[in-house]
Amino acid sequence: MIKMMQPPAVPVFPFFGGPEGPPKSANDSATSQAGYDDGKKVKIIVIDDESLIAETVVEILNEEGFDAVSASSGLSAIELAKTVRPAIVLSDVIMPGLNGIETGIKIRETVPNCKIILFSGQAATVDLLEKARERGYRFDVLAKPIKPEHLISVIRSNLPSQ
Amino acid sequence: MTNFRNSLSKKLTAMNMLVSGGALLIAAVAFFASDLITFRANLLTNTSIQAQIIGSNAVSPLIFNDARSAETTLSALRASEHITYAGIYTSKGEFVAGYWRDTRSQPVQLPAPGAEQDQFSYFGKGQFELVRTIVFQDKPVGFVLIQSDLGAITDRLRTYGLILLSIVTASLIAALALSRLFQRAISQPIMNLAAAARLVSRKKDYSIRAKPPADPDEVSLLVAAFNEMLLEIQTRDSALQESELQFRSLADSIPQMAWMGDSTGSLTWYNQRWYDYTGTTPEQMAGWGWQSVHDPAVLTDVLAKWRAALSQGHAFEMVFPLRGADGTFRQFLTRALPLRDSKGQVVRWFGTNTDITEQLRSEEALRQTEKLAATGRLAASIAHEINNPLEAVTNLVYLARRQPANVEKYLQLADHELDRIAQITKNTLGFYRDSVSPSSVNISEVLEEVLALYTRKLQFKKISLACDFGKDIAIFGYPGELRQIFANLIANAIEALSEEGNLCIRATRIASEFGNGQRGVRITFLDNGSGIPPADRKRIFEPFFTTKKDVGTGLGLWLTLGLVEKHHGSLRFRSSVQPGRTWTAFSVFLPERPVAN
Repeated sequence: MIKMMQPPAVPVFPFFGGPEGPPKSANDSATSQAGYDDGKKVKIIVIDDESLIAETVVEILNEEGFDAVSASSGLSAIELAKTVRPAIVLSDVIMPGLNGIETGIKIRETVPNCKIILFSGQAATVDLLEKARERGYRFDVLAKPIKPEHLISVIRSNLPSQ
Repeated sequence: MTNFRNSLSKKLTAMNMLVSGGALLIAAVAFFASDLITFRANLLTNTSIQAQIIGSNAVSPLIFNDARSAETTLSALRASEHITYAGIYTSKGEFVAGYWRDTRSQPVQLPAPGAEQDQFSYFGKGQFELVRTIVFQDKPVGFVLIQSDLGAITDRLRTYGLILLSIVTASLIAALALSRLFQRAISQPIMNLAAAARLVSRKKDYSIRAKPPADPDEVSLLVAAFNEMLLEIQTRDSALQESELQFRSLADSIPQMAWMGDSTGSLTWYNQRWYDYTGTTPEQMAGWGWQSVHDPAVLTDVLAKWRAALSQGHAFEMVFPLRGADGTFRQFLTRALPLRDSKGQVVRWFGTNTDITEQLRSEEALRQTEKLAATGRLAASIAHEINNPLEAVTNLVYLARRQPANVEKYLQLADHELDRIAQITKNTLGFYRDSVSPSSVNISEVLEEVLALYTRKLQFKKISLACDFGKDIAIFGYPGELRQIFANLIANAIEALSEEGNLCIRATRIASEFGNGQRGVRITFLDNGSGIPPADRKRIFEPFFTTKKDVGTGLGLWLTLGLVEKHHGSLRFRSSVQPGRTWTAFSVFLPERPVAN
């Protein structure tokens, strides 16, 4: 089993090659347009306490031209968001410490325009979402396991309008 | 009509006769006595007068010594038929002349003169004698002696006797006649009353009334009281019948079967439900006949328990099957209570049988449902356990296709995740299957299997786990059920713990539980969670009792207890709600072999 790593300021992927970062695909230039926003790559934070999931999702998104980083807990994600200022936050709901919903709300305090998308493998999520709805927050939820293609299209549809 | 030796009529008759006869007798005797006294006085007076007359006539014969004229004077006495002798005597007592009524005989000797008195008389045996001094010019010149028989008196007495006799006879007859009358007036009403009472007793007809006597008197009071009493009895009787009817209606309307028995346990009455259900007749069921509708396999136990209850006079409670009219057996909860008299002796037994077949079925269905629900809950948690690795594998496969250069690494990672999934499904999907027959089960292994399921939860809540499992502790039991028991107790402990709590599980071999030499295993689950409040402690094993408002079904401990009992083990707990020192410990004892105590 992969051990959980401390959330680094800059994501490091020991399994995905050297410090140059993940290899870009050949069609990078063709798809990169869609991930751009004002000339910059769309910043995404992926939060999941299981690092394999967080890292593979980050890899997939970066493949598509996004600028994704991972965090393994709500608290570290909130800190990260202050510097990264993501356009989209993708978070698991059930996590030790702050759950995904609370994390999303907190990040929205510092990054008001950020879109929060939740994914979860548990039915208990529904109750938490109800409670959030009562407080005026509506979040989209995706059910694990998520097909990467579907995830990408959801993110694309949530991009700030161009 | 019974004839007493001293019947009322005879008594009355006797009384009557005594009274009237007695009164008459006394009156008669008094009258006769007074009459006799008067008569004697008269006799004396008459004789005295006669003596005086004779005396005055005899003065000159005496002076002139004329015996013949004295005799003539005396002969006048012949007129009195009762004078037997009269004589004239000189003052010296010498006989001068005499008169004899019957044959002439010797003159009677003059009795010696007593004191100076004119007259001397006495009543002797059958005769009366009078002596009078003849006085001439204040000088006694002689005596007159007259003797009379008492024939007059005798005659009188005879007459009186006859009168008395006739009076007595007449009174007796009158008394008898009166008695007849009295009988009609007194005895008859009383006899009627007695006859009426007997009729009432015999026919048990309380509408009969005694006829009062024609004349209102004390007997009519008695009759009135008697009739009033009959009315009271009649009222009571109909009230009793009413009550009896009510009881029977009640007894036949309740859904239970009910019965009554005497103090020896022999049953004397069953309600209609009993006969309807069993299709039997009262003759078949009376006494100990109910045994015929029992299951022979348990009948011995039933009899033993029933006899024990009878001899000790304590309540009887037991569940056993009874055969219905269609031949099938249904389960009944039977209770019987003794009824005691004022001295505390059992006089009667009341019992009911309640059909709990449906209830038992419902309970079983509930257990199955809960098992399914638990499986469902388990499936939900499994789903989550599996979803994460699946998510990882999905992503890795996608990346492997997009990045052929890194296929090897991605597939290796995917392999790991697939192993993880396989382990989870293997462990848990076979988890809640009921075991058909017992087998040897290693307790430590089962505990570790169950704990594996809760690893994430423990990590989530940062609960520290301490385990102390003895080596190779095994019992003969049902593996699936044991897993359920441990899962429930562990889940409850985790639920009760807040973050960073402690859970301690210990399993040890026991040589002798309760000091009865029973060998087995004790597993203790100790948590320092919030504890069980004293108010809840009696109820935690009740079905549907829960303190977890939304999450719990309240069936966990109820099911667990049932499973522990299936192993003939015991489940106990202790808890403290002292602030700062709250804890709960559940302790399961499982015997080495599941045998009945």
